[in-house]
Amino acid sequence: MNEMTPVQSVGVAKPLVDGPEKTTGKAMFAADFQAAETLVGRILRSPVAHANITAMDTSKAEALPGVHAVVTEADCSDTYGVLPIAMNEWALARGRVRYRGEPVAAVAAVDVATAQRALDLIEVTYEELPAYFSAEEARAEGAVLLHDDKPGNIERDAEFDLGDVDKDMAEADLVREIEVKCSEVCQVQMEPHATFAEYDGARERLTIRPSTQVPFYVHKMLARTMGMAEGHIRVIKPHIGGGFGSRTETLQSDLIAGLLARKARATVKVVLSREETFITHRGRPESHITMKVGMKSDGTITAVDFTVQQRGGAYSGYGIVTILYAGSMIYGLYNISSARFQGLRVLTNTPPCGAFRGHGTVKTRFAFEGLIDDMARELGLDPFAVRRANLLAAPTMTENDLLVNSYGLDQCLDWVEKASDWQARKGKLPANKGMGMACSHYISGASKPKHWTGEPHATIHLRVDWDASITLLTGAAEIGQGSSTVMAQCVAETLGVDMSRINVVSSDSALTPKDNGSYSSRVTYMVGNASIDAAQNLKARLIEAAARKLEIATDDVECLGEVYRGGQQDQGLTFDEVVMEALAGEGTITVKGTFDTIPESWGGRKYRGAAIGGTMAFSYAAQVVEVTVDPYTAEITVDKVWVAHDCGKALNPLAVEGQVQGSVWMGMGQAMSEETGFHEGLPLAANMLDYRVPTIIESPPIEVGIIEAADPHGPFGAKEAGEGSLSGFLPALTNAVADAMGVRACELPLTPDRLLELLEKKARDGGANSDRGAA
Amino acid sequence: MKTVLSLTVNGVAHDDVIPDNMLLVDYLREKTGLTGTKIGCDGGECGACTVLIDDRPRHACLTLAATCQDSRIETVDGLSRDSRLTALQRGFNEKLGAQCGFCTPGMIMASEALLRRNPDPSEADIRDALAANICRCTGYVKIIEAVQFAAQELASGELAS
Amino acid sequence: MELLPDLKLHHPRSVEDAVSLHAAASSGRYLAGGSDLLVNIRRGIEQPESLVYLNNIAEMQAITEATGQISIGGAVTLRELAESAPVRQHFAAVAQAAGEVAGPSHREYGTLGGNLCLDTRCVFYNQSEWWRSANAYCLKNRGEICHVAPGGKKCFAAFSGDVAPALLLFDAEVELAGPDGRRRLALADLYRNDGMDHLTLGQGELLVAVHMAKPSEAVHSAYAKSRVRGSIDFPLAGVAVRIAVSDGKISDLQVGLTGVSPLPFLVRKLDKFIGRAADDACLEELRDAVRGQAKAMKTTFTPPHYRRRVAGALAQKLAASFF
Repeated sequence: MNEMTPVQSVGVAKPLVDGPEKTTGKAMFAADFQAAETLVGRILRSPVAHANITAMDTSKAEALPGVHAVVTEADCSDTYGVLPIAMNEWALARGRVRYRGEPVAAVAAVDVATAQRALDLIEVTYEELPAYFSAEEARAEGAVLLHDDKPGNIERDAEFDLGDVDKDMAEADLVREIEVKCSEVCQVQMEPHATFAEYDGARERLTIRPSTQVPFYVHKMLARTMGMAEGHIRVIKPHIGGGFGSRTETLQSDLIAGLLARKARATVKVVLSREETFITHRGRPESHITMKVGMKSDGTITAVDFTVQQRGGAYSGYGIVTILYAGSMIYGLYNISSARFQGLRVLTNTPPCGAFRGHGTVKTRFAFEGLIDDMARELGLDPFAVRRANLLAAPTMTENDLLVNSYGLDQCLDWVEKASDWQARKGKLPANKGMGMACSHYISGASKPKHWTGEPHATIHLRVDWDASITLLTGAAEIGQGSSTVMAQCVAETLGVDMSRINVVSSDSALTPKDNGSYSSRVTYMVGNASIDAAQNLKARLIEAAARKLEIATDDVECLGEVYRGGQQDQGLTFDEVVMEALAGEGTITVKGTFDTIPESWGGRKYRGAAIGGTMAFSYAAQVVEVTVDPYTAEITVDKVWVAHDCGKALNPLAVEGQVQGSVWMGMGQAMSEETGFHEGLPLAANMLDYRVPTIIESPPIEVGIIEAADPHGPFGAKEAGEGSLSGFLPALTNAVADAMGVRACELPLTPDRLLELLEKKARDGGANSDRGAA
Repeated sequence: MKTVLSLTVNGVAHDDVIPDNMLLVDYLREKTGLTGTKIGCDGGECGACTVLIDDRPRHACLTLAATCQDSRIETVDGLSRDSRLTALQRGFNEKLGAQCGFCTPGMIMASEALLRRNPDPSEADIRDALAANICRCTGYVKIIEAVQFAAQELASGELAS
Repeated sequence: MELLPDLKLHHPRSVEDAVSLHAAASSGRYLAGGSDLLVNIRRGIEQPESLVYLNNIAEMQAITEATGQISIGGAVTLRELAESAPVRQHFAAVAQAAGEVAGPSHREYGTLGGNLCLDTRCVFYNQSEWWRSANAYCLKNRGEICHVAPGGKKCFAAFSGDVAPALLLFDAEVELAGPDGRRRLALADLYRNDGMDHLTLGQGELLVAVHMAKPSEAVHSAYAKSRVRGSIDFPLAGVAVRIAVSDGKISDLQVGLTGVSPLPFLVRKLDKFIGRAADDACLEELRDAVRGQAKAMKTTFTPPHYRRRVAGALAQKLAASFF
C-alpha cells in the first residue's frame, strides 16, 4: 500500500485561500477598521481648474472645537510620484492647483459633521489661470504651462522608427488608414479609497493600512512626504476591494491620512466618497490615434505607421510609461518588422491618468485590430486568415528587442474559431446579428523595475515551526486577483504537501519581505517563481533532515510530500517527523526564495524608452464576440463571447477563468458604456449612475478556453492571465458590429447614440455601403 | 432628533437610541460593529450595502435606521451558523463568485433573498434578482454559477438553512 | 459618506396624521422609499428639518379593485405594482414601467407615489454640494444660470419617473390629501412644464392613491425605456403606448413620454392615426410624430439628439409589436 504520491496543487481548481472571509463579511477592508477615538479625516478640494493659491488661512478651522489637526502643503516635506524621474505631485497642492478636485488641505476631527464644518472654515484665495480640458487646447501656441519644466504642456513625446516603414509600406498591396478616438475610462474598483492611520506619539511611529496595490511604494512615499525614517513606518495591507491599476501608485489620500495622524498624534480614518474616488482617477487617458497599415494580398503586414495622443491630466503619474507602452506593444503579438510611432502625452487641467488594466496597450490594439479586419475584408480574406498570416515563431526577439519566449496565439485562434463555430456561422447569421474577432497580448511584469536597486524582483520567506505548518510571507499584494492562493499552490506543489499546511501572510512591512506590488501582471510570474525557489530551498532542508533521520544519503531520500522515505519498502517519515528532525538543534526554520529576470528580457536600447515592454513572457489571447443590434434603438446586445487565453500554465484554472472573464467584461464596459466626461473640468460622471459599469443584465456568457504554451522560465510554465484578454474585446465588438450593420465604429464607447449616428449616416449616404461589412 | 430603535439584527435584539438622520448602513457598521455590509457608492448605485429587511433586499445606504422599527434585519455577518458556510457562501467561495470580495456581501444578501422566495431560479431569475448589484471583478459569470450551485445544494437538502 | 443634516423623522399611521405633522413642521418633506430623496439630501440639494414617513400608513399600501375600477395606494411599492395581477392584466404598460424602474432592490422600497412625485433630473443638478458650488449652482438650485441653456430663465431638468407616462395612457386620477382635505386631480394636471417646479401639489399635499378605469379588452399597452445599461439607469427616454387594432385598422392610440422634458405627457395630435391601416408607413409616421414632440435637452450625459430619436423609435417598435 505504498502507492502514495505527492499532493497535486498546481493545475487544480482551487477556491481562494481568503475566500471564506470574503463570503462571511469578516474580511477587513481599510474602512472597516475602527479604534476608540478614531478621528475622521476629510479633504478640502479645489473648486477651480487652474489657479495660483495666493493665500490660505486655516486658523478658524484649527480653532473649531473637535478639530485635532489641519494639514496643508506646509506639512509636506517633498513631492511624490510613482516614477523616480517624474515626481511632481504634492499630497496637498503647493502654490498652484491644476485640476478641479485637487486636494488643498485636510482636517482630522471628532466626527464627520465637525470635519465638514472645519473644511468650510478654511479660506483659500485663488488667482485663476487659463485652464485646458483637451489635449489640443493645452498644446496650443501660447498656452500657459501647467508645469514650468514641461514646455508645450508635453509630458513626454515618444517615438521610434524601426525597419524601413516607407519602403515596406510602398511594397504593400493595400494601404489603409484609420483614426480612432477613445474616451477616458476609470477603474471604478468597488471599494472607494480608504486609509486607516495610527500614530504612536510616544515612539513617533506610524502604522497605516491603505487600500493599495503597492504597499511598498506607499511606504516610500509616506517617508518622503512626511520626512520620516522609512523604518519608523509600518504599512499593513488590509483586504483590498479591487484595483485594476487605480491603486498602482501612491494616492493623496494615503499620504494625507499619514500627515493627519501625525499632526493629531492620533488614529485617523480617511474614507473617500465615490465622487472623490473618481476624482482621484488614475484611469486610462482619452486617446486619439491615427494608424496606417500596409498589407500584402495574402494578409502579410508590411508596415505600421501610427500616432497616439493621450490627454494625461495634470500630473505625470505613470504617463511616460503609458505613452511608451502605447507604442512598443504594437510588437510582440504579430510578426511585424517595420513600424513607426509618434506619441504625445499631454498635460491638461483634468485629474491625472494612471495605469489601468492593460496599461497603454488597449487603444492601440483597438485601432490596429479594427483596421486589419477592414483590410482583410477588402482583400477577401477571413479575419482568422489575416491573423494567421502574421504569426510569430517563438523563441524570437521583436524588431524593438522584446523577448518572445513562448507563443500560443495560434492555438488561441484555433480554439475560438472552433468553439464559436466561426467558419459555419460567420456571415450566415440573421439580420442585425454579427460576429467579430480580435487578438491581444500582455506582459507578465516589466522586466526592469521602476525603482532599480539591484535587489531581486521578488523575495519570499517560508517559515516552518514545531507545528509543521508552513507560513508563507510575501509582500505581494493580494487585491482579489488570487495572488496569495497562487503562491500557496506553488509552494504546496513544490513540496508535494497539502495546501492546508500553508498560511499566507501578505503585505505587512514589519513581517513580510519587500515586494514591488501587484501591477503589470508581475505577481504570478515573478513572485510565483520566488515561491517555488523558496519551497525548493525548504525541501532541500527537509531532505537533509530526513536523510539524517533515516541514515541514508540525501540523494536516496524519496520525497512524497507528506512522506519522506528511503524507498518503496521503507515506511518512511511523516512530514511532521521530518520537520521535528529539521528543527532539532536549529529551531524555527526560515528559508528564502528569490527571482530575477534575465537580461535578454530587459528590452532594447534602439530608442529612448525602449525598455518599456520588456518582459519575461507575453500572454496571448483571441476572442470572438457575437452581437445583436436593435435596429430601432441601436442598442447592442452581446450574445456571447468565446475567448482563449494562453497563460502558459493554468496554475489555478478556476482563477484563470475568473481573471479572463473579468478582463473581457471590463473591456466590454470600456467598449460599450463607460466614459468619464467633464464640464469645464468638473467631472460629469463621478458617480455610478452616469459612469456606466455594466450590470449583470447586459453582461454576456463568456466561455473561456485555456491555452498552455508553457514559458521556459515561468513558474511551472505560467504567464499572466489577468490583463491580456481585455484589449481584444474592444475591436472584436466593433468588428462584430461591422459584420452586423456594415458600419465601422472608430469612437468608443460605442453607446447607442454613437451607433445610431453611424447608422443614420450610412442611411443618408445611400446604398453604397449596403452590403454587409464596412468599406 | 433621536429615536429609540428596537429591532433584531441577525437574530439578536437591539434597543438603541439613535439620531433620526442615521442611515441603516451606518447603524450597522458603527453602532452594532457589523462591518460586513459595505459602502461602495454615494447612494443606491452599487448595491454593496444590500441587507435583508424582513426577508426583502434593501439598500442600507438609502434607508433611515429609524424607519426599521420592529424589523428583522439580516446581514452577511450573520448568515453562517456555527461558523459553517451556508450553501450560498460556499457557492461564492468554491465557484469564485467572489474575487476582491467587496461586492460580495451585497451579492450574497440579494441572492439569499432570491433563494428564499424562489429556491429553483432560472439564469434569467438570477440576473433579474442581482440587477441592482454591481461587481467589478468577475463579469458576473461565476456569480451566476455560485447562485446556481447554492440552489442545487439546497435542493439536495445539504445544509438547508 | 455624506452626512445627512439633523432632522426629525415622523412615523404617522394615517394620512390625516401625516398631513398635520407635515403642516406643523417648518420645512418638512414627505418621505416614501427615499431612493431619490435621500440621495438629494445627502448631496445637500435639500435640507428638510423634518421628514414625514409614509410607508406605515395602511390606507396607502393597498391595491383595490371595484367594478371597472382600480385604486392603487401611493405607498404601494414598485415591486408590488409590477407583480400585481390586475395591473398586469388591464394596465400592462403600468406593470412593465414599474418593473423597469432602477433595479430590483430599489423597487422593493421605491413607491408609486415616490415615482410619480420624483424630482426632475439634470446632470448639472444631480451632483454633490462641492460640485454644484464649484459650478455656481444652477437655476433649479441656488443659482442664477441654467447650464443647459445659458441665458434662458427656464429650467429643463427632465422628469424621469417611469410609471407616469403609462398611467397617463389610462386617464389616471390622483387622490391628494392636504391641509384643506382631499381632492382628485387628473394625473396630467399634477405636472407642469417647469423643471424647477414641476408638480402642482399644494403646500403640504401628498399623493394618497391613483385611480383608474379599466379599459376594454381590445386595448393593449406596453412600456419601453431607453437606457445604456440593462438595469439601474433612469430613462433616457421612456415610452408608453396604448393601442387597439381592429380589422387591421387602428382604433385607439395613445403615447406617453417621460425622460425628455420637465413633465411626463401624452403625445398630442395622434387622432390622425385612428382608422389608419396598421402598416409600416403608419409606424414611420408615428415615429416621426413622437420624435417631433420629444424635445429633450442637454440634461443627461447622453446627447439629446439620441433621446429625441429613440423616443420615436421606441414608439414605433412598441406599436409594431401589436400589429
